[in-house]
Amino acid sequence: MKKYKCLICDYIYDPAKGDPDHGINPGTAFENLPASWTCPECGAAKSDFAPVE
Amino acid sequence: MAVPVIEDIFWVGVNDHKTDLFEALWPLPHGISYNAYLVRDAKTALVDAVKKNYSGEFATDLRALLGNGQKIDYLIINHIEPDHSGAIDSLLSQYPDLCVVGNEKTLRLLKEFYRFPVKTLLIKDRETLSLGKHTLEFFVTPMVHWPETMMTYDQTSKTLFSGDVFGGFGTLENGIFDDEVDLGFFAEETRRYFANVLAKYSVPFQKALSKIEKLETNAIAPAHGPVYRKDPKFIRDLYGRWSRQETEKGAVIVYASMYENTKKMAEAVARGLAENGVKEIRLHDVSRTHLSFILSDIWRFRALVLAACTYNMRLFPTMELLMNFLENDHVENHLLGLIGSYSWANTALLALRDFAKKGSWQFVEPYVEALCAPTPEVLKVCQDLGKNVAQNLNSIP
Repeated sequence: MKKYKCLICDYIYDPAKGDPDHGINPGTAFENLPASWTCPECGAAKSDFAPVE
Repeated sequence: MAVPVIEDIFWVGVNDHKTDLFEALWPLPHGISYNAYLVRDAKTALVDAVKKNYSGEFATDLRALLGNGQKIDYLIINHIEPDHSGAIDSLLSQYPDLCVVGNEKTLRLLKEFYRFPVKTLLIKDRETLSLGKHTLEFFVTPMVHWPETMMTYDQTSKTLFSGDVFGGFGTLENGIFDDEVDLGFFAEETRRYFANVLAKYSVPFQKALSKIEKLETNAIAPAHGPVYRKDPKFIRDLYGRWSRQETEKGAVIVYASMYENTKKMAEAVARGLAENGVKEIRLHDVSRTHLSFILSDIWRFRALVLAACTYNMRLFPTMELLMNFLENDHVENHLLGLIGSYSWANTALLALRDFAKKGSWQFVEPYVEALCAPTPEVLKVCQDLGKNVAQNLNSIP
């Protein structure tokens, strides 16, 4: 599972960690995040993320 | 008036006493400064600018410093928010060859805020720009306060131009430098600025502060408030503490009350605190003390007690507004006591408890609820709540 970076604030979404503060369990792939999920640090939309190579 | 800061660097900011509300939200009883800095070298660089309505004064000061006909080569934008960039069109009309320096996000926002063509230089994190004697290094520090925020470090004089970071409210005509001003006054106005404008970004702040932790600084030159050249550590420490949400022993009680019944309960909590050794107590009527000052106190003190009545079957509206800010700012490291009152629909306490569940508050028992006017028994429970908060505070080393 790939990590994704927020292009607005540089936050890295790590699927291994998930985003438990917002109900996202560890092990959730970025692709499987709900469409309503937003960057926990700056509020940017899912579409503002790019995979980290 | 331009004022020398350190070798070849001048403060060319302006003092704003006309704006009554910063960001159309926060009162400015002591005004605010927009600090811009000019580095005079083989190439001349301006670090940040000022708000649009001060363009004229800014242009006059720059001309007086530089002399007629001298150009400015670069405008470095640490932060594109219009209180720092608004003067850009006036600058361009006087210095048409001016090149705007920013990171990818700065230049994107520049285009969207100011829809005119301008020469730009795209820089990346840790890149440098030589002006001749001075070499500037850029530290991209996103979300301290906007996505594009960055800091510019002059390696030659070891001056850090930090943007909104290390900034505060209050104007500088009575002194620009930390060795000239009343630092106690500025520490208060700087915490209020942090708690109002920047608190939400505490986590990015910690990242940004650790990124510049090892930088040796002879001077810290923020975009608002004093320049720290005698003791830059002073402001680095304050911002470190605030962004880590380190709080002091003390309690803030905020109440919403129409007919002084809820107010009586808040006052009973204060008695309980005072009788149990808490000296720092701040009691605020949420409808009368501006949120700006309440938030600043909350950011300072460890305990918070909220007492609110119900209004139109909802939580009292001015208390709701405070809840919005506290929730959005992700307040941590606080004790919380809750009091509600109602006359027929018991909403206030439920709403306060719902709010509390969403945050990471450390509860202090008991919840208190009163129907109409509090009985002596209820007031006694409020006093006990104050006592319990005090005991929690006293157990902190």
